[in-house]
Amino acid sequence: MNGYNIKKISDCKWEIEKNESRGMRVPGIIFADKKLLEHAEEEKTIEQVINVASLPGILKASYAMPDIHYGYGFPIGGVAAIDIDDGVISPGGVGFDISCGVRVLRTNLISSDIKKNLSSIMYGISVSIPRGVGSRGKILVRGSQMRELLTKGVSWAIKQGYGWEEDKYFMEESGCMEGADPDFVSKQAKDRGSDQVGTLGSGNHFLEIQKVSEIYDSKAASILGLEKEQVTIMIHSGSRGLGHQICGDYLKLMQQVSSKYKIELPDRQLACAPVLSPEGKRYYGAMACAANYAMVNRHCLAHWARLSLESILKKSARSLDLGLIYDVSHNIAKFEMYNIDGKDRKVLVHRKGATRAFGPGHRDIPKIYRGVGQPVIVPGDMGSCSYIMLGTEKAAHESFSSTCHGAGRLMSRTKARKRIRGEQLKEELFTKKGIVVVASSMSGLAEEAPQAYKDINNVVNIAHNAGISKKVAKLEPLGVIKG
Amino acid sequence: MREINNNQDRKFIQVDHPSDIGIRFFGNDLEELFENAASGMFSIMCNLQKIAQVDKRNIIIRGNSNIGLDDLLILWLEKLLYVYEVDKMLFSKFRVRRINEKCDGKILEAEILGEKINLEKHEIMTAVKAPTYHMLEVKKDKTGSRWTGQVIFDV
Repeated sequence: MNGYNIKKISDCKWEIEKNESRGMRVPGIIFADKKLLEHAEEEKTIEQVINVASLPGILKASYAMPDIHYGYGFPIGGVAAIDIDDGVISPGGVGFDISCGVRVLRTNLISSDIKKNLSSIMYGISVSIPRGVGSRGKILVRGSQMRELLTKGVSWAIKQGYGWEEDKYFMEESGCMEGADPDFVSKQAKDRGSDQVGTLGSGNHFLEIQKVSEIYDSKAASILGLEKEQVTIMIHSGSRGLGHQICGDYLKLMQQVSSKYKIELPDRQLACAPVLSPEGKRYYGAMACAANYAMVNRHCLAHWARLSLESILKKSARSLDLGLIYDVSHNIAKFEMYNIDGKDRKVLVHRKGATRAFGPGHRDIPKIYRGVGQPVIVPGDMGSCSYIMLGTEKAAHESFSSTCHGAGRLMSRTKARKRIRGEQLKEELFTKKGIVVVASSMSGLAEEAPQAYKDINNVVNIAHNAGISKKVAKLEPLGVIKG
Repeated sequence: MREINNNQDRKFIQVDHPSDIGIRFFGNDLEELFENAASGMFSIMCNLQKIAQVDKRNIIIRGNSNIGLDDLLILWLEKLLYVYEVDKMLFSKFRVRRINEKCDGKILEAEILGEKINLEKHEIMTAVKAPTYHMLEVKKDKTGSRWTGQVIFDV
């Protein structure tokens, strides 16, 4: 035995029984098949699920999504809903890349329209998007402009002439998270963010041109404006150095006050403070600023991509119908309402590598999607595919409206770098699958190789079968830009 | 978790982590330990041999008296990442002049040498986002004569 008992609930749901001697306040719930569960056990990720179960105020369970893998503090794919009055807020439960997320834009093109000039499209977009280490954005944001960006989010960017007015209606919180307070963001964080607005970054961040290869729910797909063979654009990025600095600043602060609040934790990276404490409120205010920065970042990246496509295809972005389908954050803590034991309660849901998945009828999703549910964007690896899913009513009861956020790593970065050569991978993706890859770093590319990730199809099927989100469309990459 | 020796004469070694990257580092004294931790962090990003030591920055870190050496290490590495990101520089030489504990707090003084990032010259391997507290260590080794430490980075 490993100091825990796992009980099978269904083929895609497992319970780690509550063990008070291990500090667990609630059980653990893992959405996985047997193979993924075994992998999580081998990696010792279960220990991280158990550690999260010890957080003060955690409600119902410490959840792990099907793309669960070993992180630091929280597992990646971890979800913890916290009682506001008795519970804590944890910067580690959000992560360093605060509000890292994904967006998808539609087009009225079909894949054959761009087949011939795919390479020029990919290179054209790649030069218009600052990416990789040391890159500077096209706009410098300082002083009162930075304060406005952090407070108002995407409305600030639209006022500056970036993007379309209606874009914000297809983002969580309409592109502006409430409660953002720039006074709680350090000068260092603002310095780091000043020249990174509209930059892709590196690591697993990307811009992909994709095609819709399968539709699973034609009614929902039509509401999202998706049809087979259609070209889409997916962008994955976050809050860059500003978010990293905010997380680091508040981890330090929360370590200092843990004794004041008599909080003992099994991993220092879980450092936290009561939600309603001065420190908890300050972190939330700073985190919301980083979320606004991240949404502006993805918004500006989409803006440069639109301009680039206009110039390459000699058509306006409007006539190409480059509208935003949706934008999700998968590293975030949010106040949400849930019915728990018959009572409506406001709770703080931490999602560390998990996507919000509100079901049909939820008032916080755009009106045109309200009949079908919130779009959930699940990026896969660059050689296989990504998915558009929808949130479900069931997810509210099963996982505090949360689902998977990607494929999840299978192979460590060092192992991937040793086994795979970036140049060879790039060539193979082109010769075998016709995928055009533009990358700043070949070893960075190797780390992101398809074989370093779990099978996205399996991960998505588990989420679908567990009922925490449902499949709408599969998107296959045509071209990939990596930071 | 498995350690990978990258033949750096045991100033530091990379530590495998399922989703991120860590380093274990060594030193005959605390100053050397902190220097080697910094070298290890920048070695994740770029081959140190390719980073010329042409531009100098002076660094002073002040920490409260109640923080541990591991906390001071995090402050040091975070400061280096801040300078790297804001000044767009990579560093390959770290001279920690002193690490002192005074009644009013801990202090670290160092000079660091490097150059502006030039992607033609510097092939970036893995960008480091931040050092984490997960499995963080700063301690004397079993012999009691050398220092050792470990940091897992978010990358």
